[in-house]
Amino acid sequence: MIGQVVAFNQTLNDPIKYFGTPKNMLLEFRLLSQRCSVIRNITILTAEELNSAASGPSHKTRYVLTGPSGCGKSFLLLQAVQYCLAKEWIVIYIPRAKTMVNSTTTHVYDLRTQTYLQPNYAHQTLRRILEVNSANLQTLTMRDGLSYERRSFSSGTTLAQLASAGSKDPAISSVVFETLLTELCRQSKIPVLLAVDDFQSIYNQKTTYRDPHFSAIRPYHLAIPRFILEFASGKRSFPKGAIIGALTAADPAFPVTNELMDELGVPGVHPRSPYSKRSKIFQEYARGLRNLPVPTEFSPREAASVFETWMRDNALTAPANDELFLAKYTESGGNPKAFVWQGILGTLEGAAPVVNESTSWPQLREGRI
Amino acid sequence: MVHILGINLPDDQLARFALTSIYGVGPHLSHRLCARFQIHDKCRVRDLTPFQTTALSSFLQSPKTALPVTQYPLAPINFIPRPPSKSIQELQAEFNAERAAQKQKRDEKLQKMGKLPVEDVKAKVGGRKAPEKKSRDPLTELRIESELRREIRENIAHQRLIGSYVGRRHAMHLPVRGQRTQTNAKTARKLNSLDRW
Repeated sequence: MIGQVVAFNQTLNDPIKYFGTPKNMLLEFRLLSQRCSVIRNITILTAEELNSAASGPSHKTRYVLTGPSGCGKSFLLLQAVQYCLAKEWIVIYIPRAKTMVNSTTTHVYDLRTQTYLQPNYAHQTLRRILEVNSANLQTLTMRDGLSYERRSFSSGTTLAQLASAGSKDPAISSVVFETLLTELCRQSKIPVLLAVDDFQSIYNQKTTYRDPHFSAIRPYHLAIPRFILEFASGKRSFPKGAIIGALTAADPAFPVTNELMDELGVPGVHPRSPYSKRSKIFQEYARGLRNLPVPTEFSPREAASVFETWMRDNALTAPANDELFLAKYTESGGNPKAFVWQGILGTLEGAAPVVNESTSWPQLREGRI
Repeated sequence: MVHILGINLPDDQLARFALTSIYGVGPHLSHRLCARFQIHDKCRVRDLTPFQTTALSSFLQSPKTALPVTQYPLAPINFIPRPPSKSIQELQAEFNAERAAQKQKRDEKLQKMGKLPVEDVKAKVGGRKAPEKKSRDPLTELRIESELRREIRENIAHQRLIGSYVGRRHAMHLPVRGQRTQTNAKTARKLNSLDRW
């Protein structure tokens, strides 16, 4: 099983279609004939953790996938999402969390929650959750009724009906999203997975949003990042389920912050001291997060499976043999992203220029064209 | 198509960029305006709500008479919001009442300490207006379109009136800021004048 490449099947509630994926993964899936990934040791470990999380509250299983750029964090998160869906969990997958903090969606201040609501983002997320989890949501009902702005939902309404109403009308979508999460926190029938990629973007001190006085809005003052922070810190918890986040190592707009690095025990690029700036609020929101380090390199077996998959898809222009495989594996140092993008897809550039010793022109002899 | 101050803003432009087509509004002021009316950076002009368009138009028509922005509270870390059944009007009324109560409490405290509340102090400074503190918000002193052009015209007229070098250069249609005239003063010769705007 370890080292085997398996495809993500296109089901009716396909999370890749409805939730989307991070950009690099999307590009890779476009190139491949089938969307697939390789099963690694860490995949089996994560699956075992999720199996034990199915019977415990989510505040006891809060993991953050860490590792250098291109080591496979986003892929592992997607594998976790697919695994939980196959086990009939309710899955909430946010592949690009930075879109909720980089001032690309509507924001409007709400006096009741004292935060900035994001109605369009909530509307879109509700629609996606409904498409992927409709079967499970139809079996769950609201415990308390909800009445908001001339719309009312009696207790006993299924969560699918609630989500459907919210996904049709952006005006009520924020309240419906909040109610849906509250109801999911009350039910203990079905485990819930909250998977967030670009996890570090909601831990940055300032978002790109500005308030009417032109100061930057903090992530915990935006409705949806606040929900994720509360789940990540254990302030809100599903009776059964898990919270998994994946960091994006190489995003200069939203770097991994000191508070996260301290809590996860990650060294970070720059040295930090006790005098480095830290926010008490974010320290509290990061408390209890556990590090799940993703191995930095493919094992040779895993790399060989990936190589064969791309080979079968005719991605190699050079002759596919052991020398090529070992050359690409060594050049990339086993780093999964480098192995695929610079290694395997690098063969599309063609064969390396060969030095012509017999030519009389020195510049041609050195192999420069 | 959205019309603000008689200027047509194309639908497919970013609102933050479209506002710079107003004379006197550049990238920074446009960003500030968008922040004030809760318009996010990637909002297109066609996505602006009628409320936002009306608010923008009425603000830009007379920036000086606009109401100052209220400082609304932001949720602390363990804040539990009220249930959604409570209407926004009730919450707003409660908030206004709380603010009024806080202001009254502050005034009573100041009176007890022997210091008068702020409005009385201003009245007391014998007829002469107390110097107003310069606000850090450029929107409070926003000058656009005809007002800005009038200010520029007045500045040039003032320079001529006092007989300064700058005024003379404007009058002679020559460069004002020390550029060379042996060659190249074509733009100044074309545009510099006393009744420029």
